[in-house]
Amino acid sequence: MSVHPKLRVLAPVAAALAVVAAAGALAADKPARAKPAETPELLEQGRAVYFRRCSFCHGLLGDGDGPAAEFLDPRPRDFTLGTYKFRTTQSGKLPTDEDLFRTVSRGLSGTAMQAFDNEIIKNGLTEDERWAVIAWIKTFAPEFKNPEYDPYKRQVALPKGMPASSAATIAKGREVFEKAKCWECHGKQGRGDGQKAFDRTDDWGFPIRIRNVTHPWKIKGGTEVEDIYMRFTTGINGTPMPSFIEGVPSEEDRWALATYIKSLQHKQTEHQVLKPLRVEGALPAAPDDAAWAKAPPMDVRLAGQVTAPPRWQNPSIELVTVRAVANDKEIAFLLQWDDPFKDAVHDEKAELDAKELTKTGGYSSYVDPYEMVPRKLETFRDAVALQFPLKLLEGTKRPHFLRGDASNPVQLWRWKADLEEQGKRSVEEAVARGWKQPPKPLAEKHQLVAGKAEWKDGRWSVVMQRALVTPDGSGVQFAPGVFVPMAINVWDGSNGEHGLLMSVSTWQYVFIEAPVPARVYGYAGFAVLATGLLGVGLMRKAQRSGS
Amino acid sequence: MPGALVFIYMTLALIALAILVTFSDRHMHEFVRPVKRFLRGDFGRVPRAAVLALVPLLAGWQVWDITAPDVAVPAALRIQHPSSNFPKSFETLKNPLANPPEADVQAFVEQAKAGNVAFIAQVEADVKRWREANADRHGLEFIATAPMKKFLDALKAGTVDPQTAKAALVEKYLFEGRALYAMNCRACHGDSTAGDGPMADGFKLRPINFTDNGTIETIVEGYTFWRVTNGGPGLPTEATPWDSAMPEWKLSLTEEERWKIILAEYDLAQKTPRIPESH
Repeated sequence: MSVHPKLRVLAPVAAALAVVAAAGALAADKPARAKPAETPELLEQGRAVYFRRCSFCHGLLGDGDGPAAEFLDPRPRDFTLGTYKFRTTQSGKLPTDEDLFRTVSRGLSGTAMQAFDNEIIKNGLTEDERWAVIAWIKTFAPEFKNPEYDPYKRQVALPKGMPASSAATIAKGREVFEKAKCWECHGKQGRGDGQKAFDRTDDWGFPIRIRNVTHPWKIKGGTEVEDIYMRFTTGINGTPMPSFIEGVPSEEDRWALATYIKSLQHKQTEHQVLKPLRVEGALPAAPDDAAWAKAPPMDVRLAGQVTAPPRWQNPSIELVTVRAVANDKEIAFLLQWDDPFKDAVHDEKAELDAKELTKTGGYSSYVDPYEMVPRKLETFRDAVALQFPLKLLEGTKRPHFLRGDASNPVQLWRWKADLEEQGKRSVEEAVARGWKQPPKPLAEKHQLVAGKAEWKDGRWSVVMQRALVTPDGSGVQFAPGVFVPMAINVWDGSNGEHGLLMSVSTWQYVFIEAPVPARVYGYAGFAVLATGLLGVGLMRKAQRSGS
Repeated sequence: MPGALVFIYMTLALIALAILVTFSDRHMHEFVRPVKRFLRGDFGRVPRAAVLALVPLLAGWQVWDITAPDVAVPAALRIQHPSSNFPKSFETLKNPLANPPEADVQAFVEQAKAGNVAFIAQVEADVKRWREANADRHGLEFIATAPMKKFLDALKAGTVDPQTAKAALVEKYLFEGRALYAMNCRACHGDSTAGDGPMADGFKLRPINFTDNGTIETIVEGYTFWRVTNGGPGLPTEATPWDSAMPEWKLSLTEEERWKIILAEYDLAQKTPRIPESH
């Protein structure tokens, strides 16, 4: 062999790397080895795995009614009907074992079902354990035993030789989106705001949300073009999402549609410092002012408020995009988030009485989203709040991100949709000293924040504006060169949210860049001058001594 | 910091060079000669002009870089397992449910014989439905684990020993603990304790992944209990309590519920707590 010695060493390494890379690509998707035979031992192993890892959500009987189920939206799957959402089989049919393997392995993004692949999590299930639990899960639905329903005779294959995503496929996909009327449900911008009614339910009668396809972390069946293609080709069983295998008969059209949907997925910013755009003159007061586009955006992720009872793990708003603009006197913030329904009334009588939930050793301190709160239109208002420390603390100290505490209070600028709708001052300033008491609104004369909002195509845009420094010294003060902590709370009224039932973010920062002080220019200029003179001096000296 | 290191090495190298150059007149002369020639313009006027212009600009840039205000996010060094306010009394706490007292084991055996083992309210409905659907089987058989199977076989044969019974009782606690974990902790820490719950991405300070090395296995059980009990607000300043979403669970869960959750948490994560040092 005439292989270079270095290459001889590298070859096995490269081969190993290739294997690892291939395994990485396949991990969680496809089994690496053959499926084991369905023996009584396998079923017994599956029963044990199911009991330890699945039953607390899916129930001991597999009916989707385990102890944790009542708090989950979407609900855990009821295995007894054999109705499965994510398949590679025709609409209404059973899933293949490999479909189930995929779901168990990689989980369903944005839901309580996480990945169980032991290559993804350390205490995950081995391939054999996953096959065993799948065999057990199938025993819950008799349909799997019936050869008439054999899913392997109803498979839908991915098309071959499809074009890569490009401006052309995306444009074509957009046409398909229009023609197939995807927007009737998913909205013109894909934000899930197409339906005006609020009463969509799944086969079990549980309310269903139309997917906002622009938020990839909520797309359960996978975010890749192949996944998206499979979803509207096979439909999502048990839900109003049909198969478009007949509605859009051409595979190429469906592929183009998938590339279009993929192109709508939002790419989040990564930074945690909001830098207001410095301008001369008036700030943009209207939410649709073109000037906002020049201000750099900051995406803020939110979670349900679970730190204090009543706890809420079913928030509908998980992303707010913030921009800010400032001149030398004032600062304005633009907050934007997707919400398919505009809720601009508020009924205080419908609010949750959380007394039972705040007891120690009560059944649970979480809110049951199906029984405890009305999740419907015309009940609670949409709202958003910017939270700042009332006083900046020394060093990196801050008040707690959930409403601070007695010694470290926070200030909230709360914008409320019902006030906006009624043409009143829509932002209310309040001070909170911990979550145990509701925030206390400031006296009328200290209410200094102006608000203006607009709801369009399934998205709220809210502007809040105030002086950088308040004349009465109340509230947060913005000075150039100072990091001001900022957190966000959002409420989606038709999701039953009010009070502590909300989405929260942890602390981010607002930072107004300070102009560079004149002395810095002075120092740098002096350094240039001094070094320059020194150089010229040395040159002269050298010339003299040389001549 | 590599910057500081580079600076030290550069300074040392310059000092060494200066010593070498000034070691003798001959060295000095050898060193200065080409510099002088360059400054006289022997190597061309253009390179000389370029160097004479560039060096001051470089110096100016350096000074600007040092004096201009720096915009860096205030960073706090966070201590993950702070001990400054950890009460000594928790150090030697043992999970009482991992090793239940004899009286509890006895009571459990009696209940098992009578077929009426009671469960916490949170799992009762699910257990009841299983029992109704499986009226011909023992009411504990849904606990599909080896220790419980062994216990039920011994119960049938009338040969129950305390060790077998105790292990079965712990299985019951684990079952309850997993349900309590799923109800209370899962949304953030994930269904497998891997820190990957559906809400994990919403917090800047991510929920802890208990399957990671260096988390719950490096601390004693009493510490875990203390953290679950007092949550974020119970942390000292060096652990940035203001960023922690961890609830003060003593406000919502009983001591027994907290211990059950901890029992199940270690079991699910496949970890064991550190053993307290004996004094």
